Amino acid sequence: MPVEIVKDKWPGSVRQVTLGATAAEGGTRSHTVTVGGEASLPFMHFEAPMPNRPRVAIEIKDRRPDDWSPLLLEVWGAAADNPAEWAKAAEQAGADLIVLALSLTKADGSPTQAADAAASVKAVLGATGLPLIVFGPGQAEADNELLVAVAEAAKGERIALGICEDKNYRTIVATAMANGHLVTARTPMDVNLAKQLNILISDMGLPLDRILMDPTTGALGYGIEYGFSVMERLRLAALQGDNMTQLPMLVTPGFEAWKTKESKVGEGVPADWGNWLQRAINWEVMTAVTLLESGADIVVLRHPESVARVKAVIDGLMQPA
Amino acid sequence: MYIIGENIHIISDKVKAALKERDAKFFQDLAVRQVEAGAQALDLNLGPRKADWQEVFPWIVDTVQAVVDVPLSFDSTNILGIEAGLQRVTKAQPIINSTSAEPERLEKVPLLAKKYNTRLIALTMGSSGIPVAADERVNIALEKIIPRMLEIDFPISDLIIDPLVLTVSGCQEYCPHLIEAVRTLQYAWDPPPAISVGLSNVSNAVPNENRPLINRVYCAMLMGVGLKMMIANPLERELMEVVRIIEQRDASTPVGALYLKIADRIANMEEPSIEDVDMSDPEQAAIWKTVQILLNKVIYAESYLSQ
Repeated sequence: MPVEIVKDKWPGSVRQVTLGATAAEGGTRSHTVTVGGEASLPFMHFEAPMPNRPRVAIEIKDRRPDDWSPLLLEVWGAAADNPAEWAKAAEQAGADLIVLALSLTKADGSPTQAADAAASVKAVLGATGLPLIVFGPGQAEADNELLVAVAEAAKGERIALGICEDKNYRTIVATAMANGHLVTARTPMDVNLAKQLNILISDMGLPLDRILMDPTTGALGYGIEYGFSVMERLRLAALQGDNMTQLPMLVTPGFEAWKTKESKVGEGVPADWGNWLQRAINWEVMTAVTLLESGADIVVLRHPESVARVKAVIDGLMQPA
Repeated sequence: MYIIGENIHIISDKVKAALKERDAKFFQDLAVRQVEAGAQALDLNLGPRKADWQEVFPWIVDTVQAVVDVPLSFDSTNILGIEAGLQRVTKAQPIINSTSAEPERLEKVPLLAKKYNTRLIALTMGSSGIPVAADERVNIALEKIIPRMLEIDFPISDLIIDPLVLTVSGCQEYCPHLIEAVRTLQYAWDPPPAISVGLSNVSNAVPNENRPLINRVYCAMLMGVGLKMMIANPLERELMEVVRIIEQRDASTPVGALYLKIADRIANMEEPSIEDVDMSDPEQAAIWKTVQILLNKVIYAESYLSQ
């Protein structure tokens, strides 16, 4: 008996956002990466083809991090001591994009200076041809100081600068506008606040096709359902035509998953939790795949094995049924 | 529209300060101004007053009653305080605001209302909170609240059902459901109980400059489904003007005609249409954007008007 597949036709679609600039566009990237453009819910190819596949970014730091899992430090080895080497290793591990997260302090404990941040970014840009996203340390004052230097050092490369939040976005947006970059806009799991920040940023004059939104998510077992619902609601609003929600979504399942007890702790947990490394990778992969299903356009991961697995899942999901 | 004036409310810093000083003149002035602006009853919300209810409730009744004759609405969770106030009422039939459908409240509060021959506002909220869906709120009225009134022989004509307005800024999906709950409740019983809502709740946590617009657009939509009573701010002149426009069907101004059209569309179970709106008029465009958020068609954001 033939079954009729019910199809939704949506009036709106997500904007396409392009990261990176090649030599022809005034940058030095080997290629650009475009995300967004969806005109249906994720992977509903029978309703509307997805013009761009979701992308996997690998998060690296400007120096060996103090607070990352030993499992991650082990797999990245000596590369974690040097952002350029780490970026190369990340590209080899299959990253579509590099996220460089700046540290608040240097290895000796002194504050990271603007010149240090600019040097790290230049080193990474020199080591890889992938488009780049740079996150500040997450404190307003340091973010503003470092990201302005980063934006100037990377002028023409069309990098994304993060993280804009409702309490601190003006300086970052202004420097992104002045230097031809993009921004990421993060809000704490709330559709109203997500939309509001997009309005505020676009009111400053940054075109909407230069904003990625990060609606924040939890990890598997730690509020991911709530994050899923917020992303789903934002995406439904976008498809219904709400232009202030029609932005690609960048989410950080690597950060979320690697702070859960299941990933962090290898000893003193029940034996039937199984192998620690496998569990941690599973946690990161399951978190990322869940977020892909709720509309993520960029997932930021930490472990190379997770990258391989998530990319394989994306390959499968991108095959029309 | 029967308006219960909301302004004597402890959330206001001025009210808080005046109460601390037992500034009778402040409360008398606020009472008179609300009544002169069109309030037909006055809500008194001074909180539970756990420490001083024995003195505060009678004091506020004496104070307000000295200058106005309208019914007083006792808005408190402190049942002893309410009773202390009720004992001082010498003028119009008072209102208790409120009971919910939680078993403990529904056990005690209606008995107090019956004892003092008051009207009683009953919230469609059970032990598990406020349901989203309109039908579920109606069910609480039908299955919990009205049966309890019949059980104690409380006159349904003195019952006021409040299906609970929640804020568009955090509970946006509730906004259209509340409209449908008001519509349905009017057919819930014969003769139907009165229906009242706390209008200003719709704009809780919204920046102050946007609150009046959201309040009056929601008011127009609710009048479309037949709302005839609300707790609201009678000193909001533009809100009172919208009430008048819809009651008198005054389409003499373009904005008035739009409010009327919105009410009529909602009355006919149609969605307000952009064809009804002159988008070149900023005021009409703002009203239209507000309708869109209140119907949960567009996600609310503080700057929704600039979108």
